[in-house]
Amino acid sequence: MFLAALVLVVVIWETYKALGPADGGKLLGVRILPRTSEYAMPHVWDMFSRFNRPEVRGSDRTVFDAVLAGAWYSFRLSATGFVMGGVVGVGLAVLMARFRLVQRGVLPYLVVSQTVPLIALAPLVVSWGGKLEVGPFVWPRWLSASLLGAFLSFFPIAVGTLRGLAAAPASSVELLQSYAASWTKTLFKLRFPTAVPYMVPAFRLGASSAVIGVVVAEISTGLRGGIGRLIIEYAREATGDPAKVYTAIFGAALLGLTMAGVVVAVDVFVMRNRPKESVS
Amino acid sequence: MTAVSIRNANKIFNKGKANQVDALRDVSLDVEHGEFVSLIGPSGCGKSTLLRLIANLLEPTNGEVVVNDKPAAQARLDQDYGMAFQQAGLFEWRTVRKNIELPLELKGWDKPDRAVRANEMLELVQLREFGDHYPWQLSGGMQQRIAIARALAAHPPLLLMDEPFGALDEMTREYMQGELLRICAATGTTVVFVTHSIPEAVYLSNRVVVMSPRPGRITKTVDVPLGGERNEDTRNRTAFFEAITAVREGLRGMHAAHVGLGDDDR
Repeated sequence: MFLAALVLVVVIWETYKALGPADGGKLLGVRILPRTSEYAMPHVWDMFSRFNRPEVRGSDRTVFDAVLAGAWYSFRLSATGFVMGGVVGVGLAVLMARFRLVQRGVLPYLVVSQTVPLIALAPLVVSWGGKLEVGPFVWPRWLSASLLGAFLSFFPIAVGTLRGLAAAPASSVELLQSYAASWTKTLFKLRFPTAVPYMVPAFRLGASSAVIGVVVAEISTGLRGGIGRLIIEYAREATGDPAKVYTAIFGAALLGLTMAGVVVAVDVFVMRNRPKESVS
Repeated sequence: MTAVSIRNANKIFNKGKANQVDALRDVSLDVEHGEFVSLIGPSGCGKSTLLRLIANLLEPTNGEVVVNDKPAAQARLDQDYGMAFQQAGLFEWRTVRKNIELPLELKGWDKPDRAVRANEMLELVQLREFGDHYPWQLSGGMQQRIAIARALAAHPPLLLMDEPFGALDEMTREYMQGELLRICAATGTTVVFVTHSIPEAVYLSNRVVVMSPRPGRITKTVDVPLGGERNEDTRNRTAFFEAITAVREGLRGMHAAHVGLGDDDR
């Protein structure tokens, strides 16, 4: 099904390119249909063949290598951000589940935190980079990008985990109470296992959020080495080499899919012995 | 020495607020060791609340609850009782065996000891070959038997059951009643059993305690003279029907009084 959808997108793209007006369509003087020229809409095969050609004229390095290296760099940043976001998110969820007061005090701020535009935050966080130095630890620039990934990913994780921790049925809670189990034991024997079906989609969302955070941070701060930087660089060359920027976009998509794929693999593993029904 | 001794217990929810509920008023009850006592009454009569007072899942507003000659709180800490609910409440991420081992794990038993006891319990509920299945692969009756095995795994002297067979069909239910009596006879466990069903209460119990709502209190106690041996023939004996009639009259008398007094102002 996924492949069929992909093929359909390609077919639509090429059909429009073949049939659409080369100069774009205008309605009441406003251009609403995109141009179909080579500059605006390169052929799909041009995008892919661009992967095989050198990044810059005369270089041994193909675009494919460059995109792959960029995606790998960004993947490591995203993974770092995702792990940080996961630890913070789960930690906050546990605290909120344990102390009602914390939940009432913190949850509104979590919601507010997600309304701050990431683009506005990125330069600020990056500027800490040069200023923070704790003993031998010097804040590396890439850590700022990871941090922004973490900032985006911790929220769905915290909220999903909290909902899962609260989902334990009352009779199971009473059962553990009747065994005089401590809160910590209840957490590990009952609440976390109950929360797993809620945590999996939350982590999947968190993983793709981490990627978005890192790529946006790379773009807005111009951090070198990642796929975000490649997207701006290639976009600048779009007038002369329109297919090139799409290779970087494919790279970014691949990056997101890989992150989500890792989480799905973990999902399949932890849920292998559960009844086959999903929580909504 | 009694298994459970309740003296003048009251339980008021939301005391002093607009939605105050007199869940239990002046309840006194003694349960002897080895006795099977059922609590029966309409919804809202406080029978589940009373069970939770014994389990120390709730504290009485005033009055005294003694379990195994200790305050109920201490009895809970010592795990002097096991508990089973209407929903079997097995953990779906654990195998049947691991579910039975749960209370032992929480008590800090070693793995080999736990395994030995889990096998014993599986044997007791006659589900030995299902130890490595997951709960959702079992029928409702089997799940409930596992829940009973879990409740009895640590060999508590007292078993508290809150409508454990309420979700089962009639056939499975009668079979489970027989199973429960067999298991209790084998282990010598004292049982306090909450139910809606009059025949169930009579068939299982030495004593049926009839309760009435608003405020929840004990209105009548019916002794069931059916002796220790009970089987399917028991359900056809005259004494069985007489006890059923006595319990029904207890419930109905309360209902008549209720209507007659016209105090149902809700």
